Amino acid sequence: MNTQPFLENAEDLYQNAPFGYMTVRADGLIVNVNATLLKWLGYEWEEILLQKSFQDLLDMGGKIYFETHMMPMLLMQGEISEINIELKGKASIKLPTLVNASRIHDQSALETYFRFSILDITQRKSYELELIKARQEAEQTIQRLKQINAELEQFASIASHDLQAPLRTISGLIGLSEKKGHFPVDSEVTKYFSLIKRNAQRMKLMIGDLLEYARIDSEELPFEEFSLNEACEIGLEMIDDQVKESNAVITIPELPMVIGNKLQLARLFQNLFGNSIKYRSESDPVIRVAFEEKNDEIRVFVKDNGMGFEEDLADQVFGFMKRLHSHDSIPGTGIGLSACKRILAIHGGTIGATSEPGKGSTFYFTLPR
Amino acid sequence: MSIAITKRNNVKIFGKGTQAIVFAHGYGCDQKMWRIITPAFEKDYRIILFDHVGSGNSDQSAYDFEKYSSLKGYAEDLNEILYSLDLQKVIFVGHSVSSMIGVLAAADRPELYEKLILIGPSPCYINDNEYFGGFSYKDIDELIATLESNYLGWSSFIAPVIIGNPELPEYSEELKNSFCAMNPDIAKHFAKVTFLGDNREDLSRVCTSTLIIQCHPDVIAPVRVGEFVHKKIPDSKYVLLNSAGHCPHLTAPDQVISSIRSYLTT
Repeated sequence: MNTQPFLENAEDLYQNAPFGYMTVRADGLIVNVNATLLKWLGYEWEEILLQKSFQDLLDMGGKIYFETHMMPMLLMQGEISEINIELKGKASIKLPTLVNASRIHDQSALETYFRFSILDITQRKSYELELIKARQEAEQTIQRLKQINAELEQFASIASHDLQAPLRTISGLIGLSEKKGHFPVDSEVTKYFSLIKRNAQRMKLMIGDLLEYARIDSEELPFEEFSLNEACEIGLEMIDDQVKESNAVITIPELPMVIGNKLQLARLFQNLFGNSIKYRSESDPVIRVAFEEKNDEIRVFVKDNGMGFEEDLADQVFGFMKRLHSHDSIPGTGIGLSACKRILAIHGGTIGATSEPGKGSTFYFTLPR
Repeated sequence: MSIAITKRNNVKIFGKGTQAIVFAHGYGCDQKMWRIITPAFEKDYRIILFDHVGSGNSDQSAYDFEKYSSLKGYAEDLNEILYSLDLQKVIFVGHSVSSMIGVLAAADRPELYEKLILIGPSPCYINDNEYFGGFSYKDIDELIATLESNYLGWSSFIAPVIIGNPELPEYSEELKNSFCAMNPDIAKHFAKVTFLGDNREDLSRVCTSTLIIQCHPDVIAPVRVGEFVHKKIPDSKYVLLNSAGHCPHLTAPDQVISSIRSYLTT
């Protein structure tokens, strides 16, 4: 085996290197060019040498760039690097390139010359175009989403003000009429108005829940590290009245620290505890919180002794405005659990439930550790 | 002096003289391009530099696609700058597209200008029958396409490795940033306005005495175009530099300075 270093032939290296080489005068005239570059551009040696200038290989954008940036930089600092410019070859050949150039330091030369090394970046260029395209598409999508979000926020504001106002008037007038004794006892009119009142209440509830749901996405979401117990406590405070009225007993162990939005996770507990109380059985509600830590997630359980439901329906309960009960039997909007699902999606977690009619339900959710 | 206009055009004033020289940069550049030239005039003149709206550190929010759909919008800005600084009889030095901006401004308000100095002017880049501008419509379309598809190539993509010049340390950095500073939509619009414009008719309206500084060869504003401008502006002088390219104020600053000097002293 030959262990001598390979002896390079300088001329062969110049002509056939996998790189384009070119020497130009300060005005751009090409005074030397290698075989590789000629091949790329489709020109014969005689067609280029002392016949064309570097600018002749450029389109108008390239020419402007060359005259206003490349050449001034070359003359001032003696070199340029990684200039991305497209060269025009013969017969509409277009060659995307990366150009480096430097001044030739030859004291004896009367004129200034520059050596250009030219790298073919056709493949890289097509990837770049793909990237630009993908970015444009992503930007358009973001624009569209922003618009949709803005419209949703506007919708929420309409719901809060414009829908609630007439509802308040209706409820207020019915209340006033009752107070003034406009409705005779046991009359059909009284029955109708009581129905109107109940429906107005229901609508108020729905608007309130819808607003709450809309707010999940529109809020600024600061994430922080805190103990899940804090979220639990805030959630409980939000339904303090229901807890007291129902004699519910809630046990909460010491829960782990999490990173998330405290207020949203408090709303999550508020919804889960609230549901356990709302869908209670004959006995006083008993709610137990438990958790387990796995490799990459925390799983929290909220177990109750409520009425439970068929486990086949577990997926349905998280659907938007999906309910297992009529509003007349147990008032509700079917928004609370879908709001929980949304909150967990934002936190990178999931939610699910196991249940059996008459034996209570267990709702569980996961959060990344 | 109006703060609004100063901010809009990032106006900078310095120098010890009383007579004002206003320097206006060309397409894709900003006022920093004059850095090599201005020191030669600081002692004897008041130097006024500015960025066209949409370029350099001008107020981007002031860019109005309608107003700047012709060079007139820029010419109005120029006259507003002079008016707000209470300047009259200024010497105006414009490079490339700003030559024509100066022509339009001086044709409208001749009392504001004593002399015009136009470096690489072109009233019309596109060939038209007998007229040779150096470019075809196809060239301009290509340019717009380049700006659309390869804007990155002109700015961030080339940015990473540019080594400073020991003599002019911060200079190459500035050169590099001037393209990056331009919003792509504005760059495209400005390119269309610049390279599709035809201001040949406006040249004869100029009654201010004018110097045309021409390079050879200059592929953007060829010699024939410079000669045309000289022929059309009645009171004009023409000087052909011994330098190639389109930016002699960068590549042959000594020749530019001496041409301006000798013109101003005659």
